[in-house]
Amino acid sequence: MNLASLIVASPLTPLEHAARHSLNWLHFSLHLPWAWSIVALTVIVRMLLVPLTVKQIHSMQNLQRFAPQMKEIQKKYKQDKQKQNEELMKFYRENNINPAASCLPMLVQLPVFIALYYSLRAFAREPAAQHPGSLSFLHFIPSIADHTTSHWGGFVLLVVYVASQMASTLYMSTTMDKLQRRLFMVMPLVFVFVIARFPAGLVLYWVTTNLWTVGQGLITRRLIPKTPAPTLMRKTSRTPPRDDGDGGGNGAKTADGGPKPSQPRAATQPPRKVRRKKKAGRR
Amino acid sequence: MYRLGVAAVWLYRLTLGTLFPTTCKYHPSCSQYAVDALRAKGLVRGSLLAGWRLLRCNPWSRGGFDPVR
Repeated sequence: MNLASLIVASPLTPLEHAARHSLNWLHFSLHLPWAWSIVALTVIVRMLLVPLTVKQIHSMQNLQRFAPQMKEIQKKYKQDKQKQNEELMKFYRENNINPAASCLPMLVQLPVFIALYYSLRAFAREPAAQHPGSLSFLHFIPSIADHTTSHWGGFVLLVVYVASQMASTLYMSTTMDKLQRRLFMVMPLVFVFVIARFPAGLVLYWVTTNLWTVGQGLITRRLIPKTPAPTLMRKTSRTPPRDDGDGGGNGAKTADGGPKPSQPRAATQPPRKVRRKKKAGRR
Repeated sequence: MYRLGVAAVWLYRLTLGTLFPTTCKYHPSCSQYAVDALRAKGLVRGSLLAGWRLLRCNPWSRGGFDPVR
């Protein structure tokens, strides 16, 4: 083992062991085949992440209500991306918006992915006696420890991967701008060439987690009623759903005199407490 | 020395970063923050700052404008 892989591997060894133990438990105690143990492990990880994602989806829907104003800001600072981002962040802060995306839930999945990679690699290296039982999946992938492209079944899995990745992008990217979204839609087509060299079990993990994302998106969209975004935003005389307590912060920024819909809305609003309470209760 | 960390961030951006369709809730984004922190504070303190930022970038935080100070 060379130095570089030693440095990378040493903090990841416990992770690999944890993944291997979980897989062993699923395989030997619940009598799941190895491939289905991977699926089960993925589902368990995603279930643990449900509170995070539910929160994320909620705030995403909240964000959609402010979409017209945000589009306006994007249009206004079209040339200067940096300025655009800063203005958007300012807008979030003023309206008490919690942007949907965040880095942590994504990073939680990263160690799982790496740990699975290492344990699958170990599967391929160690003698079969150490992992008794079939490594095949649904009769079309002979071994989940082999490279994905080593059998025609792997190509089927790769096609499913690309489709599921695109579908999950569709569900997770409602707040992105069009260009970014298109980029992320194309990304799996590029990435498929990298992922093809991974063990098939890893692709299986990725397909499972994508399908979970899509399913979660479908369920939450059905359960949580759609916010009446466009109609509510056009009527500028309505109260904002939440008060920041001070109109002063907004007023200071009207110096440039841009007739943004958000500013007159906040500025002309006398603080009527009864109404606000009602709105707050509805949220 | 900090270049090692910056290289790692770029490695992440070009490989695994492309797998996850997420946009950061902060500005600058977590990875850009990491690069800035590494440049300004060096490898050790920069990495610590970047790690702390990643922990802050969760669904319960508010996000917003948050450059390296």
